Amino acid sequence: MAVQTIEVPLNRVEGDLEIRVAVEDGRVVDAWSAGTQFRGFERMLVGRAPLDGLVITPRICGLCSTSHLYVASRALDQLAGVTPPPDAIRVRNIALLVENLQSDMRHAFLLFGADFVNAAYEGQPLYEEARRRYAPLAGSAAVAALRATRKILEIVAILGGQWPHSSFMVPGGVASAVGPIEFLQCRHVLARFRHYYETDVLGCALERIAELKSSADLDAWLDEAPAHRDSELGFYLRFARAAGFERMGKGHGNFVSGGSLDIPEGSAVQAQGGGRQLVPAGFLSSDGAGSVFDQREVAEHIAHSWFTGYEGGMHPSTGVTEPYATGAEGDRYSWAKAPRYAGQPAEVGPLAELLLAGHPLLQALVAEQQGPNVFVRHLARLLRAAAMLPAMETWLAELGKDAGGLVLHGVKMRDGEGIGLGAAARGMLGHWLRVEAGRISRYQVIPPTAWNGSPRDSGNVRGPWEQALCGTPVEDLDNPVAIGHVVRSFDPCLVCTVHALDAGNGKPHGRIRI
Amino acid sequence: MAVTLYWMQAGGCSGDSMSLLNANSPDLLEILQELDVDLLWHSSLSVANRTSQRALLERLQSGEQRLDVLCVEGAVIRGPGGTGMYDTLHGQAKKNLIWALAHKAKHVIAIGTCASHGGISARGDVEGTGLQYHGRKRGGFLGEDFVAGCGLPVVNLPGCPVHPSVVTQALSAVVHGATLDLDAWQAPTAWYGTTVHQGCTRNEYHEYRVEEREFGEKGCMFFHMGCNGPLVRGPCNKLLWNGRSSKTRVGVPCFGCTDPDFPKSFPFFQTRNIEGLPIDLPDGINRAHYLAYKGMAAAAAPERLKGRESNI
Ligand code: SF4
Repeated sequence: MAVQTIEVPLNRVEGDLEIRVAVEDGRVVDAWSAGTQFRGFERMLVGRAPLDGLVITPRICGLCSTSHLYVASRALDQLAGVTPPPDAIRVRNIALLVENLQSDMRHAFLLFGADFVNAAYEGQPLYEEARRRYAPLAGSAAVAALRATRKILEIVAILGGQWPHSSFMVPGGVASAVGPIEFLQCRHVLARFRHYYETDVLGCALERIAELKSSADLDAWLDEAPAHRDSELGFYLRFARAAGFERMGKGHGNFVSGGSLDIPEGSAVQAQGGGRQLVPAGFLSSDGAGSVFDQREVAEHIAHSWFTGYEGGMHPSTGVTEPYATGAEGDRYSWAKAPRYAGQPAEVGPLAELLLAGHPLLQALVAEQQGPNVFVRHLARLLRAAAMLPAMETWLAELGKDAGGLVLHGVKMRDGEGIGLGAAARGMLGHWLRVEAGRISRYQVIPPTAWNGSPRDSGNVRGPWEQALCGTPVEDLDNPVAIGHVVRSFDPCLVCTVHALDAGNGKPHGRIRI
Repeated sequence: MAVTLYWMQAGGCSGDSMSLLNANSPDLLEILQELDVDLLWHSSLSVANRTSQRALLERLQSGEQRLDVLCVEGAVIRGPGGTGMYDTLHGQAKKNLIWALAHKAKHVIAIGTCASHGGISARGDVEGTGLQYHGRKRGGFLGEDFVAGCGLPVVNLPGCPVHPSVVTQALSAVVHGATLDLDAWQAPTAWYGTTVHQGCTRNEYHEYRVEEREFGEKGCMFFHMGCNGPLVRGPCNKLLWNGRSSKTRVGVPCFGCTDPDFPKSFPFFQTRNIEGLPIDLPDGINRAHYLAYKGMAAAAAPERLKGRESNI
């Protein structure tokens, strides 16, 4: 049997992601996104008991461990042929959303916002205000976000024991011995988060934001009240306008979502996008056409990755992962594979999901601005909480009223295949699992950053943020701040490092070495 | 004089850093301020660009910049074939940098099980290892004889992730020069001196062997569900997580994530047993006595526990 792999590409930090760009006349003319760390999870899961993925896969990523748990448990539900009781679905949904929202806030105010105090902006009108808000470890927005995110994560601990790295979602439901008192505690914690979000982040009630339907509405909202201008959202609108975020990071303009957050039976929460989920599945192509999502259309390419063994694209349930570490020259440049949907690169994340859900403001902005860009991509992340909090509140209030309990008893694992899909903070996450003779024989993971940060595919087509980088202005090769904005608008797993290669006499670098 | 700290991310998932952001009373910002820590670099918190990070690393290696505390999170990745090129920084194997900084630092702290023993990152193909242990075997990346500038070996703070309060309290102890008693695995007994089992709200079930056989049953998970609480050391049920709870309190077995052998190769959600009796018994226990005691305890179990009347 060939070695099976869970592959964890350029997830996080400190050089695990290196972006290289070729610059000509002050603009990026080409870009390469290289994952610089290979972790090879394959040996850990192959041959293990089916449930062991619930412990191993959350540890792929300390930022989205609950998301891995969520999709791992869904793959096992499918394998066992069970549907968890409605309250178990509620608990899973709430925990997943808590992780998503805290991640959005940490990304926005600890990571993305840190670029606003970049030396490149020194002397500009908004610089002092940016420092007050975003200075690392000291700015008011950074401190408030740290406290608010720590607090909201208490919900995952109440329901699942700890965050990160719990394993409380199990086939058939959740293993949590919690009840009405715990659910009430969660409601109080969530109420504090709403208060923070409305006071600090929005400067108004969620309901007011839901009324905005165009860029004209957004402009009017900004001028409507001092609280709007002074909120983090208000500051973002002012800063983004001054820095020209609308003109950066366009990219391919394709979006994909595998769907997430099943609506439990009997819930008052409305499904979005015509399906039975709060986050709809679907594919939106750059020409505006939408299509139904079919996971069979997912394929991974390795023509430019340090892997060997096949040509073209392969579905995650059949693909192989053979590291090819010596090929550090020429065509191959990344430890990430290149996932494609129906042969096309596609971006994943809150913008993709909210567009598919029919978010009026974001749809209008993408239409008006002829495609996505840094501004709207990050705006989606700031506004996701406004779209999700009402559903979380409803589900928390509904918990305990259904007699079905939190877990099915007598769930039996069997041989076969299971697929788990869901929306992590950064977008679609998929687990493909196969069990033979009672043991895992294959486990394949495609995390969201593999989509957004993918290298070129077999057709030499750039990955989403490689494409989005093309055209980005670079004024200072030692401090290419706009490149940071573009890549961080996709919320790469934590910090990414940026390599700027000077193209010299207008000749872009075509060859990458590490 | 400010205490200089470099936080190095090696082969891991960032979970320890993410968890550290949840520290409370003191939180991360408060502890850095109170201890007057000059955080030279932390990849998710620093804004310094690549050029200045490179210059910083050069100054640290030449000794021009003093390094008081080196925290390493994640395993040292040595693959493929000992080159370390599965994990690079600025095109160089990160392991070489870890070696250089560890030999300059006054204190070296292994953050989490991967940095301490290799952990999950030592299980794959990447030739990962801990700073001074590989699993239970002393040596690891830096070698048996390694001592940091202060004369102590690597201080291990295992856990997957390590509890955030352990990190803030350990930093405080190091900066204040408090003595840290280290156990056989070089982990401070202050946090690793008791088992995870100690403080679990299911202790009374454990006492009378009222056991869970299915998820959600509310009982002790030691005999059937694979709970490692009595087998491994850690502060989960003493410090609690996110100020709220713990896995075992909620009904998720302890997987022994602080153990040098984590993750074990046996299935996680079931107790290894012979004829229904666990193979692994609490540390240091006499098997015959223990089983006799458990049999009597089960017979003595009060109805209110068997009936789960407390609803815990
Ligand atoms: S569930 Fe685990 S930690 Fe809790 S009492 Fe039982 S053995 Fe101890």
